[in-house]
Amino acid sequence: MNKLYSATAIALCFGTLAAAEGKLNLYVWSESIAPELIEKFSQEYDVDVSVDGYTSNEDLLTKLQAGASGYDLAAPSQHFLRIMIDEELIEDFGASELDAYDAIDERWRNQWWDETQEYSIPLAYGSAGFAVNTAEYDGPTDSLKYFFEPESDLAGKIAMLSYPDEVIGAAQLYLGIPFCSEDPDEMKRVLDLLMAQKEHVAAYSSDNIEGRLSSGEVAAHFWWDGEVVRAKGDGAPVEYAMTKEGLVGWIDSLVIPKGAPNRDNAIKFIEFISTPENATAQMNYYAHSSPLEVVEADKKYTKENAPALYPEVPVEMSRSCSPAAQDLVTRVWTQLLQ
Amino acid sequence: MGFALILPIFIVGAVSVATRGAYGGFDWGFDLTGYRQIMFNEGWTGEMEFTAQYLIIIFRTILLAAITTVLCLILAVPVAYWIASQPGHRKSILVFLVTLPFWMSMILRVYAWMIILGKGGPLPRFLGLFGAPEGMTLMYNDGATLAAMVYTYIPLMVLPVFASIEKLDGTLIEAAHDLYGNRWVTLRRVILPLTAPGIASGAILVFVPALGAVLEPILMGGGKQMMMGSLIQLQFGGGRNWPFGAAIAITLLTVVMLVLIAIAIRSARREMKQ
Repeated sequence: MNKLYSATAIALCFGTLAAAEGKLNLYVWSESIAPELIEKFSQEYDVDVSVDGYTSNEDLLTKLQAGASGYDLAAPSQHFLRIMIDEELIEDFGASELDAYDAIDERWRNQWWDETQEYSIPLAYGSAGFAVNTAEYDGPTDSLKYFFEPESDLAGKIAMLSYPDEVIGAAQLYLGIPFCSEDPDEMKRVLDLLMAQKEHVAAYSSDNIEGRLSSGEVAAHFWWDGEVVRAKGDGAPVEYAMTKEGLVGWIDSLVIPKGAPNRDNAIKFIEFISTPENATAQMNYYAHSSPLEVVEADKKYTKENAPALYPEVPVEMSRSCSPAAQDLVTRVWTQLLQ
Repeated sequence: MGFALILPIFIVGAVSVATRGAYGGFDWGFDLTGYRQIMFNEGWTGEMEFTAQYLIIIFRTILLAAITTVLCLILAVPVAYWIASQPGHRKSILVFLVTLPFWMSMILRVYAWMIILGKGGPLPRFLGLFGAPEGMTLMYNDGATLAAMVYTYIPLMVLPVFASIEKLDGTLIEAAHDLYGNRWVTLRRVILPLTAPGIASGAILVFVPALGAVLEPILMGGGKQMMMGSLIQLQFGGGRNWPFGAAIAITLLTVVMLVLIAIAIRSARREMKQ
């Protein structure tokens, strides 16, 4: 027992000696930040960085609404970023004054989710659509029709995400109904489309997508552009569909939750990850497009080898819906899976 | 200590009658909309109407938990009986083996089942030897959900049943045989009544957590039909309706409490009679 005590005491001493000057607690999409950048930042600034992951914007929003999260940085998508500003859940840290602001590509500055760019610096953007296993399906993929109204070769072999927002957004694109529609008749049409599709759907799941699709368990799966690019890079026979009706777009930005205990380190990290060199490393790791200036020569994913990241079809950013519109989304989803 | 256990339930209860925030969250207040919403909702025509959808989800969840409990019981009684009949040292090793799956994360256990039943997995391949079509999958149906559910919860049934079988007096079984009771009669009139407390606690230990199962129905069953767990999750997440989510949770809790109280009263009465 004595041995155990002294071992603990020694460990504690070393623990304190090794402890860095400051701390930084990230709460970001699971496996979204390049580990080598975390390591580099931690050494350069002598900061002890911890990273927690979430798999949906709802998880993040719920955590921030519950209060005192203890996190210093989070990365919501645009529509949730808007809600967080309106609900006063994140800090105004004068983002437009930072060097990082100058690194943002013009087309992503001062958008509707943060007009004055005081609350956020964008980190990555991309789209959601459907991907196919080319060994199982070699038919056309240029329309959402093949996914929502599958013919015999895809029937029963498609899978959806279990997130209503992306799925219903894509259905709205296909039907030509605006996002966040508050018209029950329009949303009834969305429900009817999804109900008709349901008999051909093997699963509604947002987990293990790569396994399900690349093993051929399903032939088509609703997915994100960058994940398809990464899976393809690993040798999986997958292809991202460029659908003429468009793709559902998203952009994730770094924000500082209200009352973050290490706000200064959070700003340091934002500046750090926004330099061209680091933004390039981040994009090469995450495989989603970067809204920040990158070193073109060092880019791993180009238009030639990763066309999924450079869509030529329209990309429609998801909106933050009014409570009335969101209720219709929830109603469609519940009735679909009732 | 007891207070710390009860406090979260009080908070959920308070949220269930709070007023709903526009983007999730809630404001303190008193509003029973959450409870009314379980049965009455605005229909597509814009009028309030009776909606069975949530009741269907609640019923389906209870049914799934009940079937899981019964299957666990049917499988656990022989296993527990066999373990109890082993010599001492082997007995403890076997009990240890029963608890072994708990040392592994639940997600991993479900993933293992996905591999076993999935396309190209061991089971479809084995069935292929008997002429099952190539590339078949046993995933995404109720059977797959049940397989994972039973596997996940069966140790919770085996252990208490084993504990009560072990305490069983062997001479009573011999006496039953002496009185010309065959195996079935002995099981029904001697073994089952004497192990009833173990079976009851096993059933509660399996049934209650099975009501909240989220992973198995989604990963194994394909998530085509919602369960209570994912319904509550939807209301706290995408649905942004915390009071409604809390109201469903409280309703579920009440149902479970009533069932447990009924069982407790019945067994107390039975003991008094004895």
